[in-house]
Amino acid sequence: MEPHALRKGELGAALVAHMNELTFARHGELALGNAAANLPALAADRSLRALRREARLIGKGDTAVVIAAGPSVRKHDHARQLVEAGYEGAVVAAESSLYYCLSRGLVPDVVVTVDPTRPIVRWFGDPELSDAEIRDNDYFRRQDLDDAFQRERAVNDELLTLVDRHAPDIKLAISTSAHPDVVARCWQAGFQMYWWNPMYDDPADPASVTARLVRDNGLPAVNAGGNVGTTAWMIAQAALGKGTVALTGIDFGYYADTPYERTQYYKEIVELVGEDRVESVLMRVFNPHYDAEFLTDPAYRWFRDSFLELARDARCRTLNCTEGGTLFGEGVEVKSLAGFLADDVERCALDPASTKAPTPR
Amino acid sequence: MSTILKGNFETQKTVTVESEGETLTETFEREAMKRLGGSICFVAKKEIDWGDESGAGDAG
Repeated sequence: MEPHALRKGELGAALVAHMNELTFARHGELALGNAAANLPALAADRSLRALRREARLIGKGDTAVVIAAGPSVRKHDHARQLVEAGYEGAVVAAESSLYYCLSRGLVPDVVVTVDPTRPIVRWFGDPELSDAEIRDNDYFRRQDLDDAFQRERAVNDELLTLVDRHAPDIKLAISTSAHPDVVARCWQAGFQMYWWNPMYDDPADPASVTARLVRDNGLPAVNAGGNVGTTAWMIAQAALGKGTVALTGIDFGYYADTPYERTQYYKEIVELVGEDRVESVLMRVFNPHYDAEFLTDPAYRWFRDSFLELARDARCRTLNCTEGGTLFGEGVEVKSLAGFLADDVERCALDPASTKAPTPR
Repeated sequence: MSTILKGNFETQKTVTVESEGETLTETFEREAMKRLGGSICFVAKKEIDWGDESGAGDAG
């Protein structure tokens, strides 16, 4: 194939089929190394099974709201809507949205973390953030998830204070893949920690990586769906057992006018194909619910496809209240958060049977 | 290939075999292995495997 023959999104589309392989190649070794390093820490703590037993005490009624860090969550200020509506159901947040939630006065019931890399500690406030780190790593200034992080030092200081104040009231569903520095920060802050293993492959196969990990540490295995937003949804419906789960900030994409350099994999894509061929990797998706086009990349496209596969088989009713992005299709109802708060919260509190009927497992 | 297939005659001209070079897509996919990908894996048709209920951390 000649380079000039590449069409928009062509390389990106080819990559979607290989994303699980790419993910394991990128993070598998690190994640398993972290799991081994975390063994002493998790032995003294609780497992996700304990969170499941406490589920009836988490959030009023049969609903949960997932808050991920997609750009829509700040555009529509979903956390503020929940606070103003006095929402009392369970709030399950991705760690990347923790600053957004706490700075809006919303303390999540459960926070979820899964990514194995060290920079994740920044979402909790990094006690060791150095000027050199700020200078050498522009990810937090450049990323599209939260503009506030362009004020890196100030936001980090604020996060340290906010997290230290609220962590003891928050349950942290933490993956054994988490970086030991993330674990240390969360311990120090005082989160209530509940551990689980991410599935790397089929745990039913005794020779699988996941089965070996489970034998080593005895923890349950969770299908993390490739990303922390999907994991938060999984925890809300399969661990907390909520019958209706509303999603916010699950864009799995970018607004169409997002500068390419603010997309998650921009640097990697430029290094691979050059600046003039970035469009061969990024893809555009038309969302008919909002009559608008959104930009996506191979990872987000894969997250979206994987989510739909999980949602189709899930016991819960899934409402996408993100109000934008690329997640729509069978198994996911699209609705505004205001619509969910007006129509579904009280109904589900009064009549849990109004949600999808549970199936035995 | 050349170690498996052997002709039973000598060619009059020297034959050079063109190697099957990688396409740009293949190169990209190989390099992408090292750089792209999600935070964690996805396993089709699974939710949570609770495993042994007497496992680690259950006292908590």
